[in-house]
Amino acid sequence: MDQISPESAPDEAARDAAVSGADATVRVADLWKIFGRKVEAARDMAVAGAERDEIRSETGCLVAVRDVSFGVNAGETFVVMGLSGSGKSTLVRCISRLIEPTFGDMEVCGTVLADASDAALRELRRNKIAMVFQHFGLFPHRRVVDNVAYGLEVQGVGREERHERAHEVLVTVGLDGWEHHYPQQLSGGMQQRVGLARALAVEPEVLFFDEPFSALDPLIRRDMQDELVALQLELQRTIVFITHDFAEALRLADRIAIMRDGAFTQVGTPLEILTQPADDYVRAFTQDAPIAKVLPACSLMRPLGDGAVDESWPRTAETATLESALPFLLSEHRPVVVCNADGDPLGLLHQDDVAAVLEQNLR
Amino acid sequence: MSQTVAAGPGASAGTPASRRRSPLAVGLAAAGLALVIVGFVASVGAFPESWNFGLADPIDRTRRWLINNQTSHWLYTVLLNPLTDLADAGIRRLEAILRWFPWYVYPVFCGLGLWRVRGRVAGALGFCGVVLIGMTDLWQQGFATLALMGVAVFLALLAGIPLGIAAWRNDRFASVLRPTLDAMQTMPGFVYLIPFVLLFGIGRVPALIATVIFALPPVVRLTDVGLRNVPGPMVEASEMFGATDRQTLRLVRIPAARPAILAGANQTTMLAMSMVVIAAFIGSGGLGQDVLRAMRDIDVGEASEAGIAIVIMAIILDRFTRGIATLGERGRGPQTNAPAGGSLRATDTVAIRPVAAATALVALVGGIVGHNKFPEWLQWHYAPYINDITAWARDNLYDIGNSGIGTGPLSDFITVYMVTPLRELLSSGIPWPAMIGLGVLGGLLARGVTLGLGVGVALFLIGWLGMWELSMDTLAQTLVAVAATLAVAVPLGIQASHSDRFQKLADPVLDFLQTIPSFVLLVPVITLFHVGRIPGIIASVIYALPAAVHYTDLGLRRVPAEVHEAATSFGATRGQRLRRVELPLAAPELMVAVNQVIMLVLAMVVIAGLVGGGGLGLETVNALRRSDAVGRGFEAGIAIVLLAGILDRLTRGVADRLRPPPAA
Repeated sequence: MDQISPESAPDEAARDAAVSGADATVRVADLWKIFGRKVEAARDMAVAGAERDEIRSETGCLVAVRDVSFGVNAGETFVVMGLSGSGKSTLVRCISRLIEPTFGDMEVCGTVLADASDAALRELRRNKIAMVFQHFGLFPHRRVVDNVAYGLEVQGVGREERHERAHEVLVTVGLDGWEHHYPQQLSGGMQQRVGLARALAVEPEVLFFDEPFSALDPLIRRDMQDELVALQLELQRTIVFITHDFAEALRLADRIAIMRDGAFTQVGTPLEILTQPADDYVRAFTQDAPIAKVLPACSLMRPLGDGAVDESWPRTAETATLESALPFLLSEHRPVVVCNADGDPLGLLHQDDVAAVLEQNLR
Repeated sequence: MSQTVAAGPGASAGTPASRRRSPLAVGLAAAGLALVIVGFVASVGAFPESWNFGLADPIDRTRRWLINNQTSHWLYTVLLNPLTDLADAGIRRLEAILRWFPWYVYPVFCGLGLWRVRGRVAGALGFCGVVLIGMTDLWQQGFATLALMGVAVFLALLAGIPLGIAAWRNDRFASVLRPTLDAMQTMPGFVYLIPFVLLFGIGRVPALIATVIFALPPVVRLTDVGLRNVPGPMVEASEMFGATDRQTLRLVRIPAARPAILAGANQTTMLAMSMVVIAAFIGSGGLGQDVLRAMRDIDVGEASEAGIAIVIMAIILDRFTRGIATLGERGRGPQTNAPAGGSLRATDTVAIRPVAAATALVALVGGIVGHNKFPEWLQWHYAPYINDITAWARDNLYDIGNSGIGTGPLSDFITVYMVTPLRELLSSGIPWPAMIGLGVLGGLLARGVTLGLGVGVALFLIGWLGMWELSMDTLAQTLVAVAATLAVAVPLGIQASHSDRFQKLADPVLDFLQTIPSFVLLVPVITLFHVGRIPGIIASVIYALPAAVHYTDLGLRRVPAEVHEAATSFGATRGQRLRRVELPLAAPELMVAVNQVIMLVLAMVVIAGLVGGGGLGLETVNALRRSDAVGRGFEAGIAIVLLAGILDRLTRGVADRLRPPPAA
């Protein structure tokens, strides 16, 4: 997990290196998707700063993705957040080349996708990447186990072996015993677990999530988010996650990209987005965000330094929200110790830092 | 192209292209009006007979040439005869296999099968039905029909599914195929027989080919539609896992489209059934032949026995093929949020296996021992009773107590006050140029320039073929029958849409009526109405009724509940709601109902030529009966196709006009 404290301003150069560097698992450079025929003209207008509607009435083209560049490091969760029509679904489909981008280049796990042959693309999809879909995209004519085993079946893995593997993954997502049902006999949340299991079964390096939880009701959605966080702690996959839900983005992301009219307006950690919104559009989202409920305690902690940890200080888990530390911070003038899952102290949470962030959010 | 895109989202509402008055449309409208005026001023009456193009003679000459060269010309010796022999051998072989099994396997198999797919009552009825076919000594004819049908359905599926896949794969191919299928489906089955009789003469093979072609469209269309409707995310998911196109087709698309493909197979089977029966006209043999022979002798009892055997076969086949289509779905029914514990499928298969194994064993043993004839001691004919009833009905219902009420006066009333005046109005009352002018204007209003021109040309061709008066006769019968059908069906449909109970009661009856092959429906009708134009019209009404009720009900039920509630909340009475809200909203669906009714009625009116219906049907029937009338029959066939095309396009055009503009 990225852990950036508020004081240590992000090192721009290092960030740039991370964005375009060779070590990024997913790298996207100058990506455009323009629907229509006069794509060159549309791009030129867009580069000159024209608005989407203007370009549309002039050229008849729809600029869905507008010069997007970013990199996702191994093990990082990169969330693209945007409202409907912002081009986020198109973006994720371009990266996986489910649709062809108009200009630009993508590189996933070392494979340059723009000029990859069908065979190379298939190879990549079979072994390196997987996707979880908004409306699950499950196969209603296949039992749960055959849905999960689909990727392996396509690879040519034998029946016995793929069912065994499917069973293991179903246990991981908590669907043990549902193998022989058909997907539509399951509830929405369970169906998306099948979708998740199906993606995990091929042991991909990169997982794409296209608004996977937006079709679920709020309580189930929350459970699924928590489970994804827990699963990611264990599996450490590279994740590109698309959502229209700002709170969901804050909860899951290592880094968030806010997308509007096809372009990224801001890319940063949840903390950066909340504390330093790039413009009014981003600020509008942050104002409704329940900061204390979404930011994890570790996001604001200071390094331990040399000072010893007092045994009497209150403690909180690194994945717990700021809210869980608030009672201690308000009542006692002592820092809260942030611990990892084994109880080892990682850092200290100070009242001033938390107060500063909360105050900024009120503005 | 770019023009419409540039017009922006606001312009997509409405259909600007069709609303715009092009100079072409104005010109055509003027020409149509001029024709109407000139026609009435000159009062020329029916299409002049002297203009007859004379297609009949060359056709008859071709026919004679074909008959003379059937044994010598290379076209026959190298190509057609071997194919004919192969097809005939196939049918014969299947028939022999069917006959080899012991007779008792069939009722047991049908009973158990229907029990499984439809429940206990259906199983018992299926068992009794098959026994009844045997009891009336129609066992052999049944096999002949079944074998011909089996081969036809097999060939239709063999050709149809790949055609459907090709249509899905290739949009250009689909854009050619779809209108062709449309045209094929507007043609009454009867008409299909004529070209094959011309080419192959009388026999089972022309019957087979006509049946295959007639039964082809649904499976092609539904395979195409089914594959196209596979949800995008499912296909994306498959592609995301690196599946090749072939893998996606085999593992995802075809299984997902399976319900649609099987529904197509069901419709294809039912069409093949009705066609095999009609094909008795050209010597398909089997049960149809028995009905035909009995109808020619006006032996209603015999016709009923064979007719009922056909209905039993049709219903069993329908329920079976539908059962197969839904069986796979049972375990995975509609979306359920609360899954029931345990597997739904495991229990299903347990009981059926030993039963199936036992049946197979009995079948084999019985076949070897040779129990393949239906035992004579079980035979029982009910034809005499039917004939008694018919005689009684003719004597007593024709004119009940000389009161002027009964089937006779009803027939006379319809004939004297509806059919005859309308026929005279259409064929000579309205001068032919005026008729064409009206057709052009109708086409213009319904869709546009192309349809206007098309209707005009088609009407002119009908006249040119020398089929003007006969076509107007058929048209008059059709219009009367359509009006009668709608008068009965729309109230029933409204009632069905308002009352679930009524719908539940009416559904099985309509379902039953729909399964009866068109030709068989004539049997009970001639019992009551004897021969002439009226039995044809009445049979048409019965034949078209189920579709009309169904579409009316469907259209009204599609009106959103919210709209319903909104109307009620403003204090609308039931009648107001129906008139102001429901019927206008359901109008496109009602127009589809009208379209379907016209097509079904036309098909039936043509077949009714057999029982003295007159018009184009009679010419067609004659062509199939006497080889010297093939030319005239061919002309009549073309006229029927043109008439069907005109009526179909006009009603569909109106239906599209009635649709509310799509959401922007």
